[in-house]
Amino acid sequence: MSFFGFDSTLPRDRQGGPSATRGFFENPDPFAEVARARALEDDDAIDFEDTYDGLGDQLDDDQDAFNDDTFGGGGPAGPSTGAVGKDFDFFGKTATVADAIGEEQIRYALQHPQAVPVAGQQAQPAAQPEPAFSKRSGYEKYSDPGFIPDLQAKSSVWGVSQKKPEPMPMSMPAMSAARKMMSLDEVEAQMQMRNQGYQPSPVPQAMHPHLADPSAYMRHPQNIPLPDGFPTIPPEVLRAQLERGGLHPGMPHPPPGMPEMHGPPPGIPGMPPHLMQGNPPPQNMPPQGMRQPGPPPNQRAPQQQQQQQQQPQQQQQVPPPTSRGPNGGLPVITDPQQLVHLTEEQRNAYLVEDAKRAKRNHKIFLLSRGNGLMTPQDKNFITRIQLQQLVAAAGNVADSDPEAVLAEDFYYQVYSQIRGAPRQHPHQPLGHFAQTYLLQTGNRIGGHGNRRAFHSADNHMQRMQQQVQRAVEAAKAKPKNKQLIIEGSLGKISFSNAKAPKPMLNIKRPDSSEGPRPKKLHSNLSLSDRKSILTNIEGVYSGLMSMEDMERTMPPPPEEGDADAIQEHMEWRQKARTLNQKLWQSLKVMEPIVPNSTTPHPFIAFLSYPKGKKAIPRIFRHIDQEQRVTILTMIVVHLDSLDVVHLAQPVPGEAQLSVAMRESIDLFSLAVMPSLLGYVNEAPFNIIIGLLGLVIAQTHVQTVARTKVGLGILTMLLSRAEIVKEAGQASEVDWQQWVAKFNVLFDTLEPALADIFTSSINSGDDMYVWQFLAAVGIGASPEQQQRLVIAVKDRVMETVAYSKTLPADMASSRLGNVNLFMRAIGLDVELLG
Amino acid sequence: MERNDTPPNAQQRNPQQQQFQQQNALGPASQGPTGPTGGPPQLPPQMFTTAAQLLDLTDKKLVLVLRDGRKLVGVLRSWDQFANLVLQDTVERIYAGKVYADVPRGIFLVRGENVLLLGEVDLDREDEIPTTVTKAPFEEVFELKKQEDSKRKSGDKKRHTELSALGFEPEHSGEILF
Amino acid sequence: MLFFSFFKTLTNQTVTIELKNDIRIRGILKSVDQYLNIKLDDIEVLDLDKYPHLSSVKNMFIRGSVVRYVMLPRSEVDVGLLEDATRREAANQAGKAR
Repeated sequence: MSFFGFDSTLPRDRQGGPSATRGFFENPDPFAEVARARALEDDDAIDFEDTYDGLGDQLDDDQDAFNDDTFGGGGPAGPSTGAVGKDFDFFGKTATVADAIGEEQIRYALQHPQAVPVAGQQAQPAAQPEPAFSKRSGYEKYSDPGFIPDLQAKSSVWGVSQKKPEPMPMSMPAMSAARKMMSLDEVEAQMQMRNQGYQPSPVPQAMHPHLADPSAYMRHPQNIPLPDGFPTIPPEVLRAQLERGGLHPGMPHPPPGMPEMHGPPPGIPGMPPHLMQGNPPPQNMPPQGMRQPGPPPNQRAPQQQQQQQQQPQQQQQVPPPTSRGPNGGLPVITDPQQLVHLTEEQRNAYLVEDAKRAKRNHKIFLLSRGNGLMTPQDKNFITRIQLQQLVAAAGNVADSDPEAVLAEDFYYQVYSQIRGAPRQHPHQPLGHFAQTYLLQTGNRIGGHGNRRAFHSADNHMQRMQQQVQRAVEAAKAKPKNKQLIIEGSLGKISFSNAKAPKPMLNIKRPDSSEGPRPKKLHSNLSLSDRKSILTNIEGVYSGLMSMEDMERTMPPPPEEGDADAIQEHMEWRQKARTLNQKLWQSLKVMEPIVPNSTTPHPFIAFLSYPKGKKAIPRIFRHIDQEQRVTILTMIVVHLDSLDVVHLAQPVPGEAQLSVAMRESIDLFSLAVMPSLLGYVNEAPFNIIIGLLGLVIAQTHVQTVARTKVGLGILTMLLSRAEIVKEAGQASEVDWQQWVAKFNVLFDTLEPALADIFTSSINSGDDMYVWQFLAAVGIGASPEQQQRLVIAVKDRVMETVAYSKTLPADMASSRLGNVNLFMRAIGLDVELLG
Repeated sequence: MERNDTPPNAQQRNPQQQQFQQQNALGPASQGPTGPTGGPPQLPPQMFTTAAQLLDLTDKKLVLVLRDGRKLVGVLRSWDQFANLVLQDTVERIYAGKVYADVPRGIFLVRGENVLLLGEVDLDREDEIPTTVTKAPFEEVFELKKQEDSKRKSGDKKRHTELSALGFEPEHSGEILF
Repeated sequence: MLFFSFFKTLTNQTVTIELKNDIRIRGILKSVDQYLNIKLDDIEVLDLDKYPHLSSVKNMFIRGSVVRYVMLPRSEVDVGLLEDATRREAANQAGKAR
């Protein structure tokens, strides 16, 4: 008797060969019984036929000669691993004797058929109670959840959508084993059959002579000398099953009370006759059949299932040829006639493919002989271990604590929300996070190559364009003596000859290179400065993140009279205020401005790093209007020391700025400008006046004007002022103050107007300049407008001429840019031809 | 990206998803594919395990490259979460210069740390030996290999010495890697 | 767990992996695990001539410890989010250390 109390004597004579070739690895899943036992809730009601695994019939009481091989010398008598699947081959030393596998299999195959019926009939009565007993004697403890929790793995977990087999009637497992054994073979066999049917494909035949046999069997299953246990299966049924892809669990099985199929291992029915005459190792032996006295069939079921799963996978490996199998989608050649109708080429292609497929199938078949060594349960178990480790590393992910998940898996969680399917519950915490980053990424901060970045760069320019346009439209109501301008400024334009207007005036450009150069700010930044700046930036970000976290925990608005809720809300607000202050401190906006300092103001230094620029939109979400205007003021005061201004001065001889600087400017335009514009659009007039005054007083206007960012800020202020005025929101006093400032600005700017186009005409990057000129043009007096036209008329003419060489859509966008300016001063490019 | 966004009871979901779905029902470690927080469907955690990676390599013919440069061709029969591997019917393929030789080895149990990579052999392409190499008798290849190895070893040693003189720690010092 | 979390978002993207022995492999990232082992599908070995043993390989499992670089599609990386994830990770680590 074995360790577990069932009859463990060896099933048959296995002299000489290593008795067990599998070792633990090939053992069927030791826990498979557990799931099954669970399914059978009513233990007492278990019908013997439902649970009997057919083991007993394979047992042979006097064949224990190889127990030593299995367990080492002198051990207690134990079963060899083959026939009785519930034993543990704890050592499995015989598994190392790999070469003997085949030999043993053949030997068994040759010996067994004759031995079977007899052995089965003898063994059955004695063995019958045993398996039933064993089912309840060794494995119950595994059913106890406390024993090995969560190990009652379902084989279907890793399987295809096949339903997990219910506890099977006794003989069915054997049948399904038979099905299994045919399954790998089947494709091949069918193929062979077809080949032989119409045109024996010489290639596979020649290469794999054995392959002929299964197909022979397939065609004449009734010729196979079936063991006595089988007669109840009508050959037609068997054949049908085999052809259709094997026997399915639940398909025909012998009626209860039939002699068990103990003797012949599942493989036997498929055994080609020639094997029984002592032929060399059959290559076409089905895998399960090869492993001779297999584990109890019902324990095998999961294994088979897995192999069934694997089979499709293997077939998928090489799509086209294999898919011609029974369930393939490609045209199936089932009839020799079909081949005849093919062209020569098609036929050749077909045959080549056929040969290839046969070759591959043969390979797969050879490989498959050891399939299922690792059961789905094993795989599941390992997965489980690893998931447990992950849980241990990540904190308890399972207890629905989104915070823990977030902490360990932040990027993945948020990313998959941002880029994933639409949120189902937008108000959940994670959704909030995605929202935060979507908001941030909606204005996709540039610099990471996202295409959306460029897209939103356009958006920003468009918004600016709209603002200027609004101002222009507002101002257009009262044109300022356009005839004068046309005649006087653009020269005498002959409208009949508008194609080549010849300017009559030739005004000498003022030398624009006067004025002090901006101070070099970055060059003398020491390493420690750099480090402290970066530290500041990180401080800002941690402040931001805690505010964003805070935002997520905002309690719902309290209801009237709910003291607790009000209290909670108050506390929350208090905390939020504290965090806001912390963030504000870390921004260092309020640090005193040291005039003529060689080191930049901390906030300007903050803005000189991409990380700093990118933070602005997020910061603006969390600060109040007063803080926003402070930031705006800070930027305006230091406009000419911003990196994107003082380092972005056009270099004579260079067509454009360095790539790094262009990226930096783009980033500023994307990240900082929209926030500023958003504020300026709502700013009261006095603030606009004040800001313009600061630009004039504190910065070098000509330096500012030669940059995209500088012009952008000026455009912002000028167009806002015009909108305020047109809306009638400006008091006379304010307006006078504004005009005075504007005049100063204009006078300062005028000498540099010719230089504000820093890019060549064909680069197309001058939209922002036209916007600026338009903004200046609206506010300018007729006399100023005339001066303006004189300063830029060359560029106007060039652009008009250049746009004629462009495709229509590009030309119209170019002309549109120019026209924005032209209309601001009451003209239109149409007038120029 | 594969997303598990079909309703849980959909019948025709793909096998992979089905597995994960069922797995989800089993253990405390798993959260539903939508996660506890009700966000969009996310990939199941089971997908990101060693087991998931090795799962469909099981019972396949593989090339195993070890950190010592050995190339083994065999059938993967078993593995664990550390990528400890069991290979059956293994053949060691020795390359040297433009020749190679096959040496049958049998069963291998490889400790995971020695694994460099594991490649699934395309059964249709495996017989197309690259034209750059030809098969040669084992003895010849082995001899050539020995020469190559000693040459490389001395080269490595020299480079190592020079690098450490410059204060560099060689990239994989302390481990053998080819 | 930051990198694990990060690589998870790159599944089904084409990446190029350089190993510490200089082999470079391009393929579709199918999976990554906590050890940063990587599973690549439909691989293509750059400089295949030097590595004949990989000529018929189609899918590959690469052990994380031998990876030198992973080259990623830039458009699939949310840099801002990654920066914040890094900050959070650093904060977590600091929190754990304490």
